[in-house]
Amino acid sequence: MKSEKFRNFYKTVPLKLFVLLAAIVLIAFFSNDFGLVDIQKTAVILAVGLDKEDENYTVTAQIAVPKGSDRTTGGTSSVEITGEGRTVADGFGQIYAKTGWVPKLVFCNLIVVGEETAKKDVFCCLDYFLRNEYMSDNCLLAVCEGKASELLSSTSAIDDTSSLAVEKLFSDASEKSGKVMKNSLKDFSIAYYGPSHSSYMPYVRAIEQSASSGESTGGNTGGNGGGGSSGGQQTQEKVFSAQETALFRGGVMVALLNAQETFAFSLLESKIVAGTFTVQKEGKSTSMTVIEDKGSVELNMEGAPKATLSVNVRLRLYNRCSASPVEDISASTPTVYDLENANAYLNNCLALLVQKCVESDCDVLLLKRSLYRSSLKKYREWEQTLLQAVTPELKVTARGIT
Amino acid sequence: MAKISSRQLYFLLACIMPVGKLILMPTHLVYEAKNDLLIPAAVNILIQAGMIFLVMLLSRSNKQLYDMLEYTFGRVVAKVLTLLFSLFLFFAALFPLLEQKQLVQSVFYDTLPSLLVFSPFFIFSIYICATPISSFGRVWDLLAPISIVGFIGIMAFSIGSADFGALLPFGAAGTRAIVSAGAYTMSWFFDSALLLSLVGKFEYKKNMAWKSSLFYLLGGFAILLFLAVFYGIFEGLALRQSFAFSKMSKYFSAITALGRIDYIFIYALSLVMAYFCTLPLHAGVDCLNRALGGNKVATPLYSAGINLVMLFLMFLLDNNFQGANNLITKTLFWLFPLFCVLIPALCLLLRRSPREKRKVS
Repeated sequence: MKSEKFRNFYKTVPLKLFVLLAAIVLIAFFSNDFGLVDIQKTAVILAVGLDKEDENYTVTAQIAVPKGSDRTTGGTSSVEITGEGRTVADGFGQIYAKTGWVPKLVFCNLIVVGEETAKKDVFCCLDYFLRNEYMSDNCLLAVCEGKASELLSSTSAIDDTSSLAVEKLFSDASEKSGKVMKNSLKDFSIAYYGPSHSSYMPYVRAIEQSASSGESTGGNTGGNGGGGSSGGQQTQEKVFSAQETALFRGGVMVALLNAQETFAFSLLESKIVAGTFTVQKEGKSTSMTVIEDKGSVELNMEGAPKATLSVNVRLRLYNRCSASPVEDISASTPTVYDLENANAYLNNCLALLVQKCVESDCDVLLLKRSLYRSSLKKYREWEQTLLQAVTPELKVTARGIT
Repeated sequence: MAKISSRQLYFLLACIMPVGKLILMPTHLVYEAKNDLLIPAAVNILIQAGMIFLVMLLSRSNKQLYDMLEYTFGRVVAKVLTLLFSLFLFFAALFPLLEQKQLVQSVFYDTLPSLLVFSPFFIFSIYICATPISSFGRVWDLLAPISIVGFIGIMAFSIGSADFGALLPFGAAGTRAIVSAGAYTMSWFFDSALLLSLVGKFEYKKNMAWKSSLFYLLGGFAILLFLAVFYGIFEGLALRQSFAFSKMSKYFSAITALGRIDYIFIYALSLVMAYFCTLPLHAGVDCLNRALGGNKVATPLYSAGINLVMLFLMFLLDNNFQGANNLITKTLFWLFPLFCVLIPALCLLLRRSPREKRKVS
C-alpha cells in the first residue's frame, strides 16, 4: 500500500516540479527587477561629450528619450544634458541632480573629446570610464573639431540623434573603405599603457549643409526632438566627416593625419577590403578599388634601426574620367601605367604618414612595441630615440586583378 | 559504500578543478608577473601534478586518510590531525566562496544586493555537504561535459581577438615578480589536499597514479591556454579585468549582431564553479565528521553549522573583500604549500595497515 502511494507520488513529481518552476519564473517575470531598475528614472546614455576648460570638466550626455506617438519617422530621439565639475564624475553627478535620472553608461557607444581637451592628457577624462565596471570598454572614441558639447547638440541631416549619425561613420564598412580609422576605449588604453604610449582616434568635423531643415527636408522638421524650433526659425543641419585621424602620444593629441595619410595607415593595418583612391596623372584622374590588402611594419635592429613598411594590394579599375573603349570597361583591369601611378601614389601616402609620425614623435606604427617584444635590452637603449633614428623603407606592391 | 569510479575522478581533475582558477587568479597573476603570468601558473600546475601523483600512490592501499593516521599515530593524534586538516579545507573554501559572491554581484545581478542574491547558495551547499562525498561521482559525470562545452565556447569566441605577441618578452617581469606571483596564487592550488580527502573513497586501479597526473595536466593546459588568451586580449589592461572569463568573449565580431550569446557558455562554467566552491567545504565537513566520531546522523548538523559560519563570514567580509584577499592570498599563503605540498608528501610515510598487537606470553 505504502509503495503504491509512493509510486503515485513519484508519478506526479514532474508535474509538481513543473508547476513550481513555472511559479518561480512567473514571479521573476512580474517582479519588475524588484523595482531596482526603473526605466522612468534611468538615463540611457548613448554618447558622452567631454570638454575641459581650466580645471573644470563639462560633461555632455546624450540621453535617449521615448518618442511621442505622433512621430512617423524612425530612429531615436534624444536630449543633451550638460553637467560641470572638477572631475568627470562630478559632471555626471550634476546631470543626475538636474534631471533625477540615474546616468546609465551600459549603452554608451561613443565618447567624443573636444579638440582643446584632447591637447591635454585625455586620460584625465577617460579615467572615469576605465574605472566604470558597467561601461563597455568596446565604446568608440573620437576627437571633434571645437567642443564636444557643440557636436552632440548639433542637428544631424541624416539622423535624429547626432551621436548615431557619427557612429554610422565608424561602421565596419566605413573602416574597410579606408576612410576612417576607428578606435575603442580598450585598444586606445592598451596602447597608452603599452611600450609605445601612442595611439589614435578618428577626428570628426561637422560640415554645415547648405539647405536648412525648414526648406529642404520637410519630413524631418518635426523629427529633431529638442533641436527643432518654431516660429519659422531655421535649424542648420550638419553632416559629419571622420576622414582625418588624430595622433596621440602619452594621451596628448600631437598631430592630425589627413585623409590620404589615414588611408595609408589603414593599408598598413590591413583593414581595407573595398576602399577606393584616385590618382591623377597628366590631368587625368583614375579611381581604383583595393580588393585585397596586406600591410605590415617590421623593425630590423641589425646595425642602424630600419623599419620596413610593406603594402601589398590588389586593385580593380573603378572609374576613369575619360571615355574608355568598351573592352577596358568590361575588363576592369588596371593597365601597367595605372599600376605604376597607384604605386607612386601609395608610396607618397606612406611617406607622408611616416614623416608625420616622426615629426610628432608618435609611435602609432608600434615600432617601440615590436622592439620591446623582441628585446627588452634594446628597447631600454632605444626607447627615447628610436623614431628619430629609424630609417623607413617603403615597399608598395600594387597588382591588378587577373 | 559506493565508490567514485576512476572515470569520475579523471573528470574531477581535468574538467572541474581547473574552473576555480578562472575567476580572479588571472588578475592576481598579472598584478605580480605581468606578461609572464604563464610561468608561475605553469610551475604551480606542475607542482600539483606531482603531488597528485604522490597522493595517488598513497591511495593504492584503498585506506582513508583518517585510518592511515590512526594506524600510525593512534586515535587521539589522528583525530587532532584530521580536525586540523578539516580546518585548512574550510580556510581554503573561503576564498572561492568570496570569489563566487563577487562574480554573482558583478556579472549577473549588478543591481541587487549581493548578499541577498548569494545567501541561497548556502542552502544548496548545506545539502551538498550533508551528502556522502563518494556519491558525487555522478555529478562530476554530468558537470564534465558542461565544463568542456562552456570552456570551448568561451575560447572559440575569444581566441581570435587575442594578440599572443603581448606575452613577449619572456621573463621581463623578473625572477622576484615571478616567484611572488607563484607564491601569492598558491591559494588557488589546493587540488592535492582535496584529493587527499578523497583517498580511500575510490578504488585504485593499475596506472591510475600517472593517469591522474596526466588528466590534471590536461586541465592545467586549459588554464594556461585561458591565461594566454586572456593576456592576449587585454594586455596592459589585464590587471583590471576581474572575472576574466565573463569578459573575454564579448569582442567577438558576431556578438554585435547576435547579442551576448556567449552568456550561454558563461552560465555553463558558472554552474560548474558553483559545484567547485562546495568541494573544499564538502571535504572539510567529511574530515570533521571523521575527527568527531564518524556519526552519519551528525553530518547534516556539521554541514549546516559550517555553512552558517561561512555565511556569517560573507556578511563580515562583505565590504572588506580586499582585506580578506590580502590575508588569504598573501599573509597566510604559506598554509597552502604546507597542506598541499608538504603534508601530502609526508603522508607517504603513513602506515597502510594496523600495527600487529604483541601477544603477551
